[in-house]
This record gives sequence, structure tokens and C-alpha cells, in this order.
Amino acid sequence: MVIDKNIYKPVRAELTDVIDESPLIKTLVLVPENTFPFKTGQFIELSVDGIGEAPFTPSSSPLISEKLEVTIMKTGYVTGIMHMLKPGVQMGIRGPYGRGYPVETFSGKEILILGGGCGLAPIRSLLYALEAVKDKLEKVILCYGSKTPSDCIYKPLFDRLNSTEKFEAYRTVDRADNDWKGSVGVATSLLDKIKINIDNSVAVVCGPPVMMKFGTIRLLEMGYRDEQIYLSMEKNMSCGLGKCGHCMMGEYFVCKDGPVFTYDEIKHNPEIWK
Amino acid sequence: MQYKCINKEAWDNTLDHLLLSFSIFASVENEFGLEYESIKPADISRISYNKPKPATSLKSFFLPIKENVTSERFLEKPRIIIGIPNCDIQGLSLIDEIYLDKEFNDIYYRNRRENTLLISTDCIGIQEHCHCLSHNIRPFSTQNADLALIHLDGLIIFRVITRKGEDFLDKIPDVLSEKNNSIIEEIEKVHSSTEALLKESKKDLPDYESSGKLVAKSNEKLWKKYSENCVSCGACTTICPTCTCFLLIDKPGFEKVKQMDACQYPGFERVAGGEDALFELHNRFKNRYMCKYVWRPEKFSSQACTGCGRCIEACIGKINKNELLVELENSL
Repeated sequence: MVIDKNIYKPVRAELTDVIDESPLIKTLVLVPENTFPFKTGQFIELSVDGIGEAPFTPSSSPLISEKLEVTIMKTGYVTGIMHMLKPGVQMGIRGPYGRGYPVETFSGKEILILGGGCGLAPIRSLLYALEAVKDKLEKVILCYGSKTPSDCIYKPLFDRLNSTEKFEAYRTVDRADNDWKGSVGVATSLLDKIKINIDNSVAVVCGPPVMMKFGTIRLLEMGYRDEQIYLSMEKNMSCGLGKCGHCMMGEYFVCKDGPVFTYDEIKHNPEIWK
Repeated sequence: MQYKCINKEAWDNTLDHLLLSFSIFASVENEFGLEYESIKPADISRISYNKPKPATSLKSFFLPIKENVTSERFLEKPRIIIGIPNCDIQGLSLIDEIYLDKEFNDIYYRNRRENTLLISTDCIGIQEHCHCLSHNIRPFSTQNADLALIHLDGLIIFRVITRKGEDFLDKIPDVLSEKNNSIIEEIEKVHSSTEALLKESKKDLPDYESSGKLVAKSNEKLWKKYSENCVSCGACTTICPTCTCFLLIDKPGFEKVKQMDACQYPGFERVAGGEDALFELHNRFKNRYMCKYVWRPEKFSSQACTGCGRCIEACIGKINKNELLVELENSL
């Protein structure tokens, strides 16, 4: 007898650790009841029992399926409750859903990653995936911007990447404090500093909508073609199954057709930056 | 197309007998008009045939307003729904594409679909806002229902559409094959006269495909004008036979309740950071038209507007979708 899967039912995952990343951002470490394989860039629906559910892209390595890390910015009711959870709590997860980054097509290429704010969460997962195949890659450059130095998440990541062969990582802040010695300016300003062979490159952009928009415009000015730019789109995915309609972006269901799109796939829709 | 028939009296007796093993729902005329109602033996004579469109759409049988989608409950009795106009049958076809897709199959929806026999009715005559034909949908079913029927001269005459429909009729002893050409000609005449009424009443209305092209080219002024009287009540989406958007609500024990939702409600697309692509009323209002006429057609083979006209009837702001489409056509 075929046992049908109930597509709405979450599996349980135990919260085993909570890491403070910045005043507004925490990483929840989860151990699912069964292994939970996912592709980098895919997302999950994470729920607090009886409270609510929200979509997140795991920030951990897709090579590890026994444990998941989800980096969460406190922005509303559900994320506020998630920030108050203590290790030992059971959470619910559904997924993984959607289309992630096509890492297998990045072989032989130089990869430019432009990130802002909490957008570094999916990017960290991508970086783990890229590190695992670095022999096949030419170069990986990360340009990341946060509002202030204290808003920057995964601070040790930058030194680690800069000491990893083929990887370069740059940081900037919108507003410096007294201790900050690095660049000041929006994330796209870092693009002036880098050397990259655009013809043999792909660019990945993940961050707040305004950064996605101006990041894409800047990449196009640099000479990137529409199909070389990968955007991770943010919408209010409620079901994750291409049914509930909340994440419709033109003809696409972001949950199923995305969340990763090339700019070429979505540029005809003037409302993508809203 | 295979025709079968049964004497109306024998059909009523058959329904009485079928009520022992099926739940039967049918289009019934009450003081407010037509409505799908649960049928008990005393109601059989009240079933309305040949009439267009109950007030609410067929989707409510398959997508309840609110349901728990994590606790296991399935239909106890198979169902028969009688008197469904073709606009509703075609609307269900889009919902099938969404809920029965190969990757994510909704087990509750599928259970309801598999346990329901759909008996469509041919429409004789039209209601004020009926415009199926201008949207390329005819006022009688030849696909997607299991059977289609028409009540003529004391006979219930069926068109057999699916194997499930044929098997159902095979079990009814009084059902005979109908090969009388004059009756079939009579049915075709009825179809033609209903289609003539539809053509005449909506002759200015662009067809479904042209409507899509017009909506895609439209400007903001039009949406602002027509949304002036919109109060975001969501009546148009609730009543629509193809609108299926919902929200998942969490309940203790990791249970999920699926509740019908609407892009017309404020906050439908709001994301965590506060951005909301549909914040402005005219954008929400336009979204429904873009969804029905531009986006769904790119993704699905079934139409997202079947021309039933219920959204026009339900609108408390008296917004008339068809007037909007005609104005759009005239302005471009």
C-alpha cells in the first residue's frame, strides 16, 4: 500500500543551541528527528509549536544533513518568539522547498557574491558548498555590507575565507563606529575594489530588497549579463508548495520556481523589487 | 458522445435509493435563488435542473473555508453533486492542476475529488452576469465532469463523459441508451439558443485571451478608478470558482489549519521586513486581474476565469469586472 505523505505536516527538530550573531540576529541549531538533506539556497518552513511558521534558508552546510542551522533576524511576532527559545525545545520543519543555487553549473567559474544584512545566512550555506568544490572553481569573492560593525554576522567567517585558497572576502558598513577601520559605504561600493573576469563569472546577490535592486543594477553596469546574475527572492512563503498564493511574483511561485532566480528569468516583471 | 436517459420519476426514485450509500448535494432553488444544498429524500423533487449557477461555487465542496490539514480525516461516504454548471466544472479543473500536482499532492483534496461524482447540468437560459462563452467556455460540459445531464420532456438525458460516470449509470437498472436522433437534435437546439443568448448579452466583451493582453497593457489610472469603491472585503475571491489562496495557521501539537485567504486583504504579501508589494489598494485590486488573466494562463492549462460572473454579483462596491474589461478594450 502506498502511504501518502501529508505535505502540510512538519517533522520535529530539537533546538540544541542558540548562537547570538548580532543584537537582532540569532542562529538556531536544530537536530531533526530524521536526516534532513537540502540543497544550498533551498528554504524550509520552521515552526514554533502553536505559535507560527516562517520560511528561512538554512545557513549551514548542505553537506551536513544531521544538523541544520537557521539564522533568524527578529522582525515580527514569530521571529520574536524564536529569539526567546532555549535549547531543548522541539520545533517543526517542513521542506526543503524550491530551487536553490545551481552550484554544479559554477565549475570553472569565478563567483562573485554580494550580500547584505541577514542575506549572509543563505550565502554562508553557499560558501560551505563552494568550499567543498573549490578545486573546480577559479575564484570566489564575497562582498558584504552591514548597517554597522555590530550588525555584521558570522564575523569569524571573513578571516577564515581570507585564509582559504581561492577565496576573498570584503566587508563594509553603512555607518562606522570608533573602532571600525574598514570600508564605509553600501555593499555595492565594494565592487569597485575587486578584480574579476566577468565573462567567466556568475554573480549571486542576497540581501534586503533595496540592495538586491541596486546590486543588480551595478552588476549590469559592470558588464554582467542578465543570465549570469542569481537573485534570492524574498516573499511571504506560507505553504512552500506552490498553492497558497502568498509568494506569487508575476507568474512564478517563488516557493517552487525560486527562491533563486536568474535576473533574466524575472526582469520582465517591473514589480520584483517591491 | 454517448447519450443515456432515464424517466424523471425513475431518476427521483433512484436518488432516493442512492441516498442510502451516498451523500447527495444538488442545485436547489430557494427564496434567495439557486444554491447547492444537501439533499434528503424530501428534497429530491426540489432539485433544479437546466439552470445556470448556484450562488456559491463548486470549490467549497473541495476547499473548505477552514480545515485542519494535519489530523487524518477523510470522507466517510462518497458524494454525488448534481446540477453543476460548466463554469464551475471548468473552474475545478484549474484547482485540480494546483492541488493534484505531481510533486505536492494534497491528500485531503484528492480524497474529496476521488470520492465525488460530478454531474453537470446543461444551462438553458442565462443569468444577468453569465459570460462563459466570451471566455471560451460553453454552457454545457463535455469534459472534466463525470456526467452531464439535461431535463427535457419528462426525461433526464445524460452525456457520458468519464468511465466513472459510465460505471455509475451502468448500475442503475432504469437507465437506457438514448439513440433517438430527434431528442439529441433537441438538446443541440437548446445549446444553440443558450449560446445565442450569451453572445447577444455580452457581445462587446473581449475573450479570455484578449482580456489577458489588455490587462497586461493597462495603466494605473484604470485600476485606481475601478478600485475606488473596493473595500478589500474579499467577496470576489471567496465566491470565485478558481481562487484558491490560503494561509496556514499553527495550532498546538504542530497542527496546521488551512484557512482560505485572499490577495484582496491588506497584508497578503507583506514580508518580515515590512515590505508589501500589494500595500496600495489599486495594486491589490489589479493583482486579481493579473493573476486571472495574465499569470495563471502562463502557468496552467485551465482558465482562471470561467465567466460565471459571481464576482460582479458579490461585490458590495458594485464593481463590474466586465465593464472594466470593456473600458480597457475601448481605451487601448
